[in-house]
Amino acid sequence: MSTPSTRRRHAILRNAVAALALVAIFVAAGCGALRDDKGRPLNTLHPRGEQAQEIDDLITPVFMIAGVAFLFVEGGVLFLAWKFRRRRDDEDGVDEPVQTHGHVRLELAWTILPALLLAGIGVFSVKTIWKLQKAAADRSLMTVQVVGQQWWWEFRYDTDRDGKPDVITANQMVIPAGQMVRLEIRSNDVIHSFWIPELNGKKDAVPGRTHSWSIQAFKPGLYQGTCTEFCGLSHALMRMEVKALPRAEFDQWLQDQRKPATLPTDPTPDDAEDDSPVLAGFKTFQAQCATCHQLDGMTFDGKATDGAPNADYLHNRPAANRPNLTSGNAPNLTHLMSRNRFAGNLFDLYAKDGSVNTVNISSWIRNPGAMKPAAADEYRGMPTLGLDETQISDVVAFLSTLK
Amino acid sequence: MALIEARTPLAVEAGDGGRPSSPFGVLARPTASQTGWKSWFTSVDHKKIGIMYGMASLFFFIVGGSEALLIRLQLARPDNHVLSAALYNQVFTMHGVTMIFLVVMPLAAAFANYLIPIQIGARDVAFPRLNAFSFWCYLFGAIFFNTSWFLGGGADGGWFNYAPNSGVLFSRTHGIDFYAVGLIITGIASLVSAINLIVTVLNMRAPGMTLFKMPVFTWMTLVTQFLLLFALPVITVALFLLMFDRRFGSNFFNAANGGDPMLWQHLFWIFGHPEVYIMILPMFGIVSEIIPVFSRKPIFGYPFMVFSGIAIGFMGFGVWAHHMFASGMGPMSVTAFSLSTMFIAVPTGVKILNWLATMWGGRLKFTTAMLFAIGLVTMFTIGGLSGVTHAVASADTQQTDTYYIVAHFHYVLFGGSLLAMLGGFYFWWPKVFGYMLDETIGKWHFWIILIGFNLTFGPMHILGLQGMSRRYFTYSANQGFAFWNMVATIGAFTIAVSMLIFAANIWISRARHKRNPVEVGADPWDARSLEWIVPSPTPEYNFAEIPQITELDDFWYRKYGHDESGRLVRIAKTEDVVQQPGATGIHLPSPSYWPIVLAAGLPFVGYGIIFSLWWALLGGLITVAGFVGWVLEPSTDPEAGHDGHDHEPAPSAGPTEAASEDGAGGADDADSVPALAGAAAGSGAGPEGEQA
Repeated sequence: MSTPSTRRRHAILRNAVAALALVAIFVAAGCGALRDDKGRPLNTLHPRGEQAQEIDDLITPVFMIAGVAFLFVEGGVLFLAWKFRRRRDDEDGVDEPVQTHGHVRLELAWTILPALLLAGIGVFSVKTIWKLQKAAADRSLMTVQVVGQQWWWEFRYDTDRDGKPDVITANQMVIPAGQMVRLEIRSNDVIHSFWIPELNGKKDAVPGRTHSWSIQAFKPGLYQGTCTEFCGLSHALMRMEVKALPRAEFDQWLQDQRKPATLPTDPTPDDAEDDSPVLAGFKTFQAQCATCHQLDGMTFDGKATDGAPNADYLHNRPAANRPNLTSGNAPNLTHLMSRNRFAGNLFDLYAKDGSVNTVNISSWIRNPGAMKPAAADEYRGMPTLGLDETQISDVVAFLSTLK
Repeated sequence: MALIEARTPLAVEAGDGGRPSSPFGVLARPTASQTGWKSWFTSVDHKKIGIMYGMASLFFFIVGGSEALLIRLQLARPDNHVLSAALYNQVFTMHGVTMIFLVVMPLAAAFANYLIPIQIGARDVAFPRLNAFSFWCYLFGAIFFNTSWFLGGGADGGWFNYAPNSGVLFSRTHGIDFYAVGLIITGIASLVSAINLIVTVLNMRAPGMTLFKMPVFTWMTLVTQFLLLFALPVITVALFLLMFDRRFGSNFFNAANGGDPMLWQHLFWIFGHPEVYIMILPMFGIVSEIIPVFSRKPIFGYPFMVFSGIAIGFMGFGVWAHHMFASGMGPMSVTAFSLSTMFIAVPTGVKILNWLATMWGGRLKFTTAMLFAIGLVTMFTIGGLSGVTHAVASADTQQTDTYYIVAHFHYVLFGGSLLAMLGGFYFWWPKVFGYMLDETIGKWHFWIILIGFNLTFGPMHILGLQGMSRRYFTYSANQGFAFWNMVATIGAFTIAVSMLIFAANIWISRARHKRNPVEVGADPWDARSLEWIVPSPTPEYNFAEIPQITELDDFWYRKYGHDESGRLVRIAKTEDVVQQPGATGIHLPSPSYWPIVLAAGLPFVGYGIIFSLWWALLGGLITVAGFVGWVLEPSTDPEAGHDGHDHEPAPSAGPTEAASEDGAGGADDADSVPALAGAAAGSGAGPEGEQA
């Protein structure tokens, strides 16, 4: 039976099988490679927290089932195209196809079987929905308030649960590793979405609403995050990170953050000539930056504070002095230098050698719009203040002291 | 049914014969004798309107495609500066809106307009002037929407324009105003067209064509029109609220003043998800026409194909909130929409398997049209499977708003809709224009677009799962997105090359046909449905004689029967079965100026709402004039029948009148009137076409 043509056909078949196997190996290897997070800080396939792990465990089998269905259909098409192709010697009217109009039982089968399969997936899917909901609803957990605004994230900690925040920070959320943390997500302007892919899926921040969510990190480390609901001009540059610390270090961090800012004092208030750069920078800060940026414990508008952050820093000020900021909020800079980056977690505060990255900070103060698109003329984003170079370097010197 | 079947299609009442046809004495009514480019503006012929829909959508495809290339250029490398953030946000918004509302939907309308009357054995749609109005309304709405580029910038809130980012406070240019008003105008077009096509399909089928003898394409388009009918009012309401918020300071979506941004999301997606099926169901229909023809087998499981389409239509209204799994709905809503979304995969899966079963045991001929149809089957499957992974709601919170979604819906809408429509072009081109597109170039087109498409959108699955969010104007080198973005950009330009090949194919094939016309015949593919019984290009009157239908694929069974083992045997020659060109004395609806006048007023109303109400007054006057003129004009020109002989004849073709002496007759009582055969060249080439 082994005519040259059947032998050739077998060779083609063998090659096709080999090629498919090769593709399968590549795909499997590729999928494996996709799972690490080297150079991919936002990888959803690399869970490092309980919720992300839960989701990954749920979706991996679904991916596999989808892969099988994919191979079945695509392989089926290739097979049919090869097997039932019109041959050169086929003649119309001779040996034409059998005219089948359908097969009810077969069709019922491929209606019902996928439905059952999907129902099976549905059971696990629903279970996970409710399971993940549980932690988000558990009010006994430590809670961080997350506030989104164009184009940065704010995090508020109310450690004594008196309804007033004790720590307000921006861009970097610090949590204790291994511990479930509840989040209350809100927005000050448009809809944003909070997302730390390695820890959990995303949750929208919707103005007028508070959404509960939760995260947990198995181990200490840094977890990158980003806004993922389109929120206007600099949506792409609204990043954040979560820093998970061992419990003791976290407690220490919290204690440090609760302290008011250490501010320079002026021994000779009448003489500005002898001011150190830090002091001069502080004065410029008070005159310019403090209009929007809060430093816990700083006297402003003639009002002394108890050192605790003011959740409504802008709104509580007399209307005449109130900047017309659309979000009504600017980053609290009390412990600026305890963070890694600024301006939506975009630019490094420290250079590689550990020194303060004065280039980044001064460029930002000089012309923020050149580094990150914003609509400062519409009161969204930081405006260009028009400071001279001395003022800028003084302000940088002052900011560098806000450890 | 008896009532419907007894009715002669297009037995249009002529109205009061004594009424003048130009009520204001300003515009003489256009007559059927007019040919050349001017006749397109007043035509109510469903074929011309279909061709115009097709040409307009291809134009906007170039616009939307160029926007896509700009997006890919900007994202080719990290921290790129081809586009500014502001411009990028406009470009991706306009790309999405253009491709959905100005390309895919009207392309489906192009196929529906051209094919449905011929597939059901009618001579036109139920309301020919409304049909023309739909087209002009779409075209003017589309142009209006795109003029925003020159009037301060395009919409910049994404095609979904979530509130409150779409509010004036956050988007101060007029882009989103143009979006709201432009989509209201194109929405009128779709809504009117939906009603028109529903009435056409329900009332104008040839005698004997029961619902379950209709071609699958007609069925799927019918389902689509019902989806449009129920979905468009929702988006129209939402767009009105948005427009009121922006222009008149209402607070429907403004949380600060007691409104609710979630309201917009629900309204948008109650429309937005059926919209997905509006864009894919007609293409399922196209594929269901092409695969049987080139397998030489009937569609496998016709009732399952029809009912799965209907099921998709129904279920399509119950899954909208799966776009909102991360939006903060309660877990019960998430559960419900997660489950309904899973089960909508079932009827879709049935379709895929039935197509495979149609191919099983066939004699597959891989024409370009067939390759594109198989392209839908294979590529849509990928989009469908990734869709199932979104239905797992918890996992969707990792996927939503990332490039994984972008990959998913491009596999559905490009790999599905667009590939099928290109297949439809290759398949029906000879019917519409009377010549074939070159098959060799067509196959190059197919393979290059398939490679380009997969290079562009395949990597986006990986990018999305690696955490790249949508609608980012840039990304950083340290995020690990650079490699696959570069691949996607190369793929996008490969697609552009393939579309240039398509353009070249049209050009070359047309030039070849002009040089050396080859008769393609009524039935070049040995096809199954009724449109292949009429000459190519389709004569203006479609059917010289309305065929009596006895079964599904009636035309096929006029050519073929089976032997006792179920194999196909020819029983008649195609030439003996198809209709011959050159019929005479068939009544057709008269052309009219009023549809284009009525539609022309609407963009002015739009400009008025945005800039100065004086423009709205002007637009309103034009529209009212259009209404009045329309109402006073009989649908069939009573004058047209009277002066057929002494009307000044068209230059080279002799007499070309369409209507009867008495202006009220049926289709077969007026052979005394000279033929309109001259005007029958469907390509609009002029009266010298097919003189019998």
